[in-house]
This record gives sequence, structure tokens and C-alpha cells, in this order.
Amino acid sequence: MTPTPDREQQRFLQLLDEHKKILYKVAGSYCRNAADREDLIQEMAVQLWRSFGRYDERFRFSTWMYRVALNVAISFHRSEARRPRETVPAGEALLEVADPASIAGVAADSDPELEQLHELLRRLDELDRALILLYLDGHRYDAIADILGLTETNVGTKINRIKQRLRRDASRVA
Amino acid sequence: MELDDLKRCWEAQDSKLDAGLRLNTALLQATVLRKTRGALRWLSLGLWIELPLHVLSVLLFGSFWFDHRTEPRFLIPGFALYLAALLLLITAIRQIFALSQVDYGAPVLEIQRRLGGLRAEREREVLWTLFASPLLWTPLLIVGIRGLLGIDPYRILGPSYLAANLAVGIAVLAIAFWVSRRFAGRMARSPRLQALLRTLAGHQLNRATGFLDTLDRFAAE
Repeated sequence: MTPTPDREQQRFLQLLDEHKKILYKVAGSYCRNAADREDLIQEMAVQLWRSFGRYDERFRFSTWMYRVALNVAISFHRSEARRPRETVPAGEALLEVADPASIAGVAADSDPELEQLHELLRRLDELDRALILLYLDGHRYDAIADILGLTETNVGTKINRIKQRLRRDASRVA
Repeated sequence: MELDDLKRCWEAQDSKLDAGLRLNTALLQATVLRKTRGALRWLSLGLWIELPLHVLSVLLFGSFWFDHRTEPRFLIPGFALYLAALLLLITAIRQIFALSQVDYGAPVLEIQRRLGGLRAEREREVLWTLFASPLLWTPLLIVGIRGLLGIDPYRILGPSYLAANLAVGIAVLAIAFWVSRRFAGRMARSPRLQALLRTLAGHQLNRATGFLDTLDRFAAE
């Protein structure tokens, strides 16, 4: 039976809620500025909803969500001409931090290690950044290859190369 | 710090995110979902705005050259404008269709390649339109005077005036090309002018095709 629009919307919201940290992490990796992060989170949410009709439930939602989120983030990052700002009421955000003390990191600057991690991530180009983001998130090479559209061997080679580069960069930052 | 240390650090904050983040579903429903239904996405917005103009141009120029099919001096400029408008219309329809087929849930490289290809095509189209504009001005003048006023532009303006117009068009083109090459990247005060200069200089197209090369290298390494 085809779900009614309301039920589909509810299902979407439920899945988005379960995987909301993907939005947060991708936005945190591609935007330094809080206003840009909020814009990107909105762009990702809009595109996820627009693409939701094509989501095949036989596959993991998180994999599909990563694909959409990374595609939007890379395009957003590359776009020079920014779209007009979204009209979100001041002080409101799609992803709210319920307890700021509990999530020091990603966007906050209170955790020096995470801040250093984000600094290193931002030095990578948008494609390498996507790769490392998936690696840090604990995806296996075959899953990373599936999300990005690479071969597993290619993923392994690239991760090793980026590891070496990050090691070099980290020693300079330290 | 090693990448694996960073991974542990990342994992540590991951579990905190589950508890610390809240999705503002009310805001999501009120703004994002509602906006998605009605709004055209920014990528195809320009194309949708252009589409009726291209259709109108094809109809007007098409009827003009057909009405003047026995008079080469009107047939040639009319047909040149008709071809240009038809080309723009076909390109816009093709791009709108291609954009509607983009599935963001497909692998990242595949989608970025497709988007990059579309961006490059769009930049190429804008570049050619900008270059063709000074050359199409003279045919437009002939067709406009004949079509709107019903008088013979060759008689009132004279062939030498029209030839001079064409020459000025070529000169404008050459100067625009030189200025864009010389100043693109320097005149940062006006973002619009800067974008125009960058387009004329081919920088936007180079950027788009450069990204396609980056994607190919990324996939091949």
C-alpha cells in the first residue's frame, strides 16, 4: 500500500530524527561559520525530503542519508554565489543543542582535540573530507566505496595517503 | 596526533550527540517541508524563468523569417536569431530535464560528476551567449525595425550603418574579452561585475571543468 503524504512525512521525520547527528557532523565538517552551518543543514533537510520518495527501504537509511547529505554539502561548499538567506526566525535552528555542555565539539570550540580534528578536516578538499568523515564515523571500506562510488581498493589507498598527510599536518599544528 | 586518535575522539563525541541534539520538527515542518512543495530549487530557477522568453523568441523569430522567406536580406538575420533562440530553448529544456533526473541518493562521485557536467554546460552556454550578443545585435536591429515598425532598415539606416554596427559589435567583443582577461580577479568591489568578468574570461567554465577533472582523478587514483 502506498503511504499517504502525512504518513510518509511522519516516517521521514522519524528517520531524520534518528539520524540527525549525520546532518550535524556533515555540516560541522564543511562549514566553519554557524550561519552557514544552519543554511547547509536546511539545504540537506530539504533535499532529503525531496529525495525521500526515491529512497529504497531495502537499504540502510543512514547510507542513503550520507549520500544525499554529502552531495548537498559538496555542492554547497563549491557554490560561490550564495542563495538568499533562509527566513528562519532568529534564535531558531533545525538542530538544537538540548544540552550544550554534553556535546562540546563539532561546532563548539571547547574541546581542543575536536577543534584540532576539524581544523585538519577543513584542510582537505571536499572529496577527501567526505572520505575521512565516513572513515571517522566507523564505516567499513566497502560501505565508504558504496556511498562515494569508488572501489574498495581505491578507498584503502586514499585513506592511507590522507593518514600520512594528516600526520604531517598534525605535526606542524602541534 | 594520528588519524586513529582522531577517530577515538570522533567516536567519543558521537555518543554525546545522540543525547545532546534535538530536531526542531515544528520548524522543519513549518518552513522546510512547506517550502519544498511550492518552491523551485535555485539551480533550475533561472532556467524556468528563461524558458518562456526562449519560447516567445522562437515563435517571433520563426514567424518573421517565414514571412520573409523570399527576401534573403530579412530571411538571413531572422533565421540567425531564430536558430540562436531555438538553441537556447533546446538547451534550457535539456538542462531542466537533466536537473529533474538528478537523484541525490546516488553515489557521491556519480552525482557530483553529473552536477559538474551541468554546471560546465551552463557556463559554456552563458559564455557563448555573451560572446554572440554583440554579433547578434545587428540582425536584431534589422528584424526589430522591420518586424515592429514595418519599415525597411536597409533603406532608412543604409547598408554602411549596418556594416558599421557589426564592426562595432566585433570591437566590443574584443574589448570585453581583453578587459575580462586583464581585470577578472581584481575588481572585487562589485560581485556582479566580477562574476561577469570571470564568466567572460572563461574562469567560471575553467572552474567547472576543473572540478570534473578533480573528480576523474579522485576516482582513478
